[in-house]
Amino acid sequence: MISATDTLSLAPGVALERGRLADEVRGGSWPLNPSGVFVLTRTGEPVGRIVRELADAYSLSDTAARADVLRFIWHLNALTLVNVDGAGPPLRRFVDWISLSARLAPAGAIPAAVTRRRSIDTRSVGRAVGSSLAAIWARMALIAVATMAVAAQPSALAGTSSLVVPLGLGLGTGLGVGFHEAAHAALLRGVPSALVTRGRRTYVLHARVTPSRRSLVALAGPLAVTGLGVGLVVAGSIVVAPAIAIAGCPLVAHALALTVAGGDGRVACGL
Amino acid sequence: MRSLKAFLLGATAVGALAYALLATLALSAQRGGRTLDLALGPLQLVAVAEEGTAVVTTFGPGLVALAVVGGLANLVAASVLRHRSGGRPDRVD
Repeated sequence: MISATDTLSLAPGVALERGRLADEVRGGSWPLNPSGVFVLTRTGEPVGRIVRELADAYSLSDTAARADVLRFIWHLNALTLVNVDGAGPPLRRFVDWISLSARLAPAGAIPAAVTRRRSIDTRSVGRAVGSSLAAIWARMALIAVATMAVAAQPSALAGTSSLVVPLGLGLGTGLGVGFHEAAHAALLRGVPSALVTRGRRTYVLHARVTPSRRSLVALAGPLAVTGLGVGLVVAGSIVVAPAIAIAGCPLVAHALALTVAGGDGRVACGL
Repeated sequence: MRSLKAFLLGATAVGALAYALLATLALSAQRGGRTLDLALGPLQLVAVAEEGTAVVTTFGPGLVALAVVGGLANLVAASVLRHRSGGRPDRVD
């Protein structure tokens, strides 16, 4: 969902150079037409104002200018070249999203998810892990809280007041997502990379590497998290603490990403 | 080599997941002072039994069988995907 008050920004690693849009991560650049340059030189301005300025500059109707600008922004956003920054408090945007969802519901659709690209510093393994976790912490927290809320329902229905199981599952699920992407990034040392989130999807975009390294990078995420999860289950077994083992289970579930059902498994199998 | 990789990855995934779930289940049973005996037909998966004053947890060959089945399933799925994604020299879309 893009609203008139949202602003644009070039994604980290993307630059506007002499009428071309250059992407450091992909190692490529694409030519822009004059109206594309017009829009992208106005990053930081609200989309609504860019539409009005484009309509004035090119003698277009507001409707035509809005359609052109939005199509252009959606296309570049889907290619992770442009970020759309929401204006206003998150609660207000959430209410707007709910309102739009309700209007689209009769058509069986939901508002399109905006893609967001964040930078990852791959100069060293430590920086790669740290910057990945910093880029994804909000999503980790959201997933952890949502999982806790869902897992607490059966406990509440069973009349159990203990929060051990929901807490363990929530923490394990949230941490698993972060560690998974951080492990991918750790093996991309020295390779320009970025972390991308789009709807439910989270992935690491990186510059071209050799096929064998690509396989290793793909395997690193699920293997690292699975190993951590198995370690927690073993530790829980040794000290006879089910809570620790329960926290390890969502981490071990990342092992499913090793199969061809997951993108990482398909990359590792050369598919 | 690709087939071996697909089999190993599938076996690892299913084996690790099955182990984690069974171990957690056994641990909960052990903590609750209950016994447990899970099997896949004749193949034992996990058993929690009291032996004197001690509680013993045993993982059976069913766990390995599950991993092998997971590996084979992944191998078949990878073959199907490879077959479907392969270009046909006598066809254009």
